[in-house]
Amino acid sequence: MQSIKRNKWMTAIVGILLIIGLAACSNNEANTSKTGNEEEDAGEPVVSETLKVAYASDPDTLDWSYTGASPTRDVAWHIFEMLFALDNDFAIQPMLAEGYEVNEDRTLYTIKVREGVKFHDGSVLTAEDVVASIERWGKISSVGKTTFTHIESVTATSENEVQVKLIEPYNSLLADFAAPKSALIIIPAKVAEAAGEQPLKPEHLIGTGPYAFEKWDRGQEIVVKKFADYSAREEEDWGGLTGKKTAYFNEIKFMIVKDPQVILNGLKTGLYDYGQSIPTDLNEVVASTPNVDPVTYMNGYSTITPDKSEAPFNDIKVRQALNHALDKKVIAEATYGSEEFYQLDGALFVPEQVELYSDKGSDDYLAYDKELAKKLLEESSYNGETLKVVYSSNSEEYNKIAQVAKQQLEEVGFKVELISYEWATYLEKWGDPANWDLVVIGWSTRFSPNELGMLVPNIQSSGWYESPRWSDLIVQWGEAETGEQQKEILTEMNQTVNDELPFIKIANLTTLDIKTNKIKNYENWLGQRFWNTWKAE
Amino acid sequence: MLQYTIRRLFSLIPVMFIVSIIVFMIIHLTPGNPAHLILGEDASEESIKQLEEQLGLDQPVVMQYVNWVKDIVTGDFGQSVYSSEPVLDIIIGRLGPTFSITIVSIIMILVISIPIAIAAVWKRNTLIDPLFISISLLGVSIPEFWFAMLLVLGFAVSIPLFPVAGYIPMADGIFQWLYHLILPSFVLAAVEIGLVARMLRDGMLESVNQDYIRTARAKGVKESIVLMKHVFSNALIPTTTVIGAMVAGLLGGTVIIETMFTIPGMGQLLVDSIYRRDYPIIQGVILFIAVVYVIVNLLVDLLYTFLDPRIRYD
Repeated sequence: MQSIKRNKWMTAIVGILLIIGLAACSNNEANTSKTGNEEEDAGEPVVSETLKVAYASDPDTLDWSYTGASPTRDVAWHIFEMLFALDNDFAIQPMLAEGYEVNEDRTLYTIKVREGVKFHDGSVLTAEDVVASIERWGKISSVGKTTFTHIESVTATSENEVQVKLIEPYNSLLADFAAPKSALIIIPAKVAEAAGEQPLKPEHLIGTGPYAFEKWDRGQEIVVKKFADYSAREEEDWGGLTGKKTAYFNEIKFMIVKDPQVILNGLKTGLYDYGQSIPTDLNEVVASTPNVDPVTYMNGYSTITPDKSEAPFNDIKVRQALNHALDKKVIAEATYGSEEFYQLDGALFVPEQVELYSDKGSDDYLAYDKELAKKLLEESSYNGETLKVVYSSNSEEYNKIAQVAKQQLEEVGFKVELISYEWATYLEKWGDPANWDLVVIGWSTRFSPNELGMLVPNIQSSGWYESPRWSDLIVQWGEAETGEQQKEILTEMNQTVNDELPFIKIANLTTLDIKTNKIKNYENWLGQRFWNTWKAE
Repeated sequence: MLQYTIRRLFSLIPVMFIVSIIVFMIIHLTPGNPAHLILGEDASEESIKQLEEQLGLDQPVVMQYVNWVKDIVTGDFGQSVYSSEPVLDIIIGRLGPTFSITIVSIIMILVISIPIAIAAVWKRNTLIDPLFISISLLGVSIPEFWFAMLLVLGFAVSIPLFPVAGYIPMADGIFQWLYHLILPSFVLAAVEIGLVARMLRDGMLESVNQDYIRTARAKGVKESIVLMKHVFSNALIPTTTVIGAMVAGLLGGTVIIETMFTIPGMGQLLVDSIYRRDYPIIQGVILFIAVVYVIVNLLVDLLYTFLDPRIRYD
C-alpha cells in the first residue's frame, strides 16, 4: 500500500520537474530582447579569415553550364565568370569581355576579350578559351542549345578577339550569353576539352572569379578560397554579377545544413555567419533574435498549370473558369503570410527586372469572380469529372496553395482531388498527362522569354502548351532591335498568357535568408553573393 | 567455436543475397529516377532519355541487378550517379561520424544504466526504485527528435554549453570530437538507457531472492559483493541480448540524429541518396548495414560463452 502511494508521489514530482524544465526553456525564448536588425553604418572594409554559410541544399554539380539549379548557381558564381553578365538592374554589361561590335546586318558579333585576366590555374585568358567555352555551352546548356540554332560559327580571330557569326539576325545573343541560368561560364580551353559533354569534375572547376574552388565534401561542405591574382573590373556601381568584385574573406565555407531551426540556432550561437532559405513562418522569430538580420530577395513565382493536352483543360472556357475561380490574394495570404513575402503582379517577369518587365497585358490576373466562373463552367465542356491536382510534398507552400485552391475550385463546381508526391516521384508523374490535370509549382526567376519553362511548347512543364501566337512572339523576340520593340513584344506576351491561360500565376515570391549583423555592405541579388561584403570584427 | 564462427560468417552470403534483391527491387519500383532530378523541371523528354541511357537506366531491371551483383563479387560497389566517386569510398568516408555517435552513446548507456540499475536493486524498498521506474518510462516514451530539440534549446542556445550542430573528426582533436558528440549521443542514448537499465534491474530482482543468493548472504558476504558478484553477473545474459539488438537500432536512430545535428554520417547519406535516387549508394549503404547487423549478432552470441561458461557452441 505504502509503495503505491510513494509511487504516485514520485510520478507527480517527476511530472512537476519536467514542466518546470520546459517552462524554463520557453521563457528564455520569450525573453530575448528585440535588438538587432537596424542597419548601422557599414564602416571600413576588413579582411577576415572564414565566412561560414549554412546552405540548405547540396548542389548536384558545380558546373553552372550544365544546370539551371539555384544551389549550383549560387556557389558557382563565386568561382566562374561570364563574357557578359547582368548588372544590378538586370541590364547586360560586359564582364570578361572588354566590349563588342556588331555589323550592319546584325549577323556578325566581334567581341573583345579583356587582356591579362588570369584563371585559377595561373594561365591567362585568351580568345581560344572563350571559343571552347562557348562551344561546350552550346552542347550542354539548355540555353546554349537554343542559342546555337542561330549560330553559324564561333572563331578566335586574334589573341583577344572572338567572332560569332549568326545564321540570321538574332538579337537575344548577348542576353543568352549573360543569362545566369545554365550559364556561359568561361573556362580554360583544355578544361572544356577534357570535360566534354560531362559535368565538370572537381579538378576541372577552374574559373576567373574572385574565389577559387578548394574542396567539396559531398553532403557536408564546399570550400572556396580567395583568388589572390583576381583581375577585377573597375566599375563600382554595376553590381549584379559584374563590375568590381573584391573578396574580403580568405575562405568561404558553404556548409550543408538542411534544418532551418538548426540554421537559426547556429546563427544565434555564432556557428554560422549566414543562413540560407528560412521558412517565412519564422520571420517573427528572426525579427526578435538579437544580432541576426533578415535578408529578403525576389525569387520567381508560384503557378498553377493545367494539362492542356486533354479534357477538361483543353477547353479555354474551363481554363477561364479556373482563373476566375481562384482568389490569388487569399491564396497568397494563406501561403506566404506577411505581405513582405509576396507581390501580386500578373506579368511574366518581375518589376526588378527593369528591361524585361512590362506592367501591361495582364488585366485578368486579379479577376476573381465566383459567379462568372460558375457561368463559364456551365457553358464549358466540363462534365463534372474529378480534377487531379498534383504537387510536390517537399514544399509546404505548394501544399498550402493546393489546399486553398481546392476549396475555391469546389465553390464554383469543380470536383477536386489533391495528390502529393515527393519531388523525385513528382518529376516522373509529371511526364504523363494521365497522372494530372493541374500542377502547383514554383519557378525561379528567369532572364529571357526563351527560358520560361512554363511556356516551352509541348512538354510537361508547360502542360503541353501549343500556341502559334506564342511561338510567333518568341521569333519576334529574337528579331527585335530596340528596347522599345522588346517592351512591345513583352506586353504582347503578357497579353497572350492572359488570353490563352497556359498557366495561372499566383504571386511573385520573396525569399528569406538570415545573416549575423556583423556582415556589412551585404545585398542579395537573385541569390547569395559574398564579394564586396565583409565581416566586422 | 572457430567452426561455429566460420559457419556463421558463411551464413552472411544468403542473407546478403536476399537483402540485395529486396533493396534493389524496392528502390527500382519506387517512381522517380536520377535523370529527372539532374535535368530539373523544364527538361525535355529527349534529354531525359539520353541521360537515362548514359546512366544505364534504360536497361531491364533484371539486367541492371545482374550487372550490379557481378560487380560486387569483384569488389566494385559502383559509383555515385552524381559525383562518380566509388560507393565504397563514400561509405568509408561516412563511417567515422556514425560509429563515433554509436560508440559514444553505447558508452553513455552502459555508464549510466548499470549503476542506476544496481542502485535501484540495492535500494529496492526505498524511493529510488519508483523514481527510477518513472524516469526510465519517460526516457523510453520521449520522441527522439523532440528531445533533441529540447536539449539543443536548453544546452546549446539558452545556456550555450555545447555546439548546436556539426561534427569534428577525431583526428582534428579528441576533445573537440567528444564535445560535438555529447548532445547527439545523449539523445540517441536516452531511449536505450531506460530500456537497458530496466532489463538489468528486472534480471537482478529475479535472482535477488534465489536460494544461492540467500546462501551467500548467510555465509556473511557483504550485500555489495552479493549484488555485484552473484546478482549482477546473472542479469548480464538477457542484457547483452538487448544491447546487441540495440546496436542495430542505434544505427537506425542515427538517421534522425544526424539530420538534426548536421552530422555527415551514414544515416544522412542514406536519406540524401534516397531523395536523389542515387541507387548505387542506397544499395551499398543498406548492404553495409545488413553486414554490421549480422556481425554484431554474431559477436553477441560469442560473448555469451564468456559471460556464461555453461553455453557452448561445439
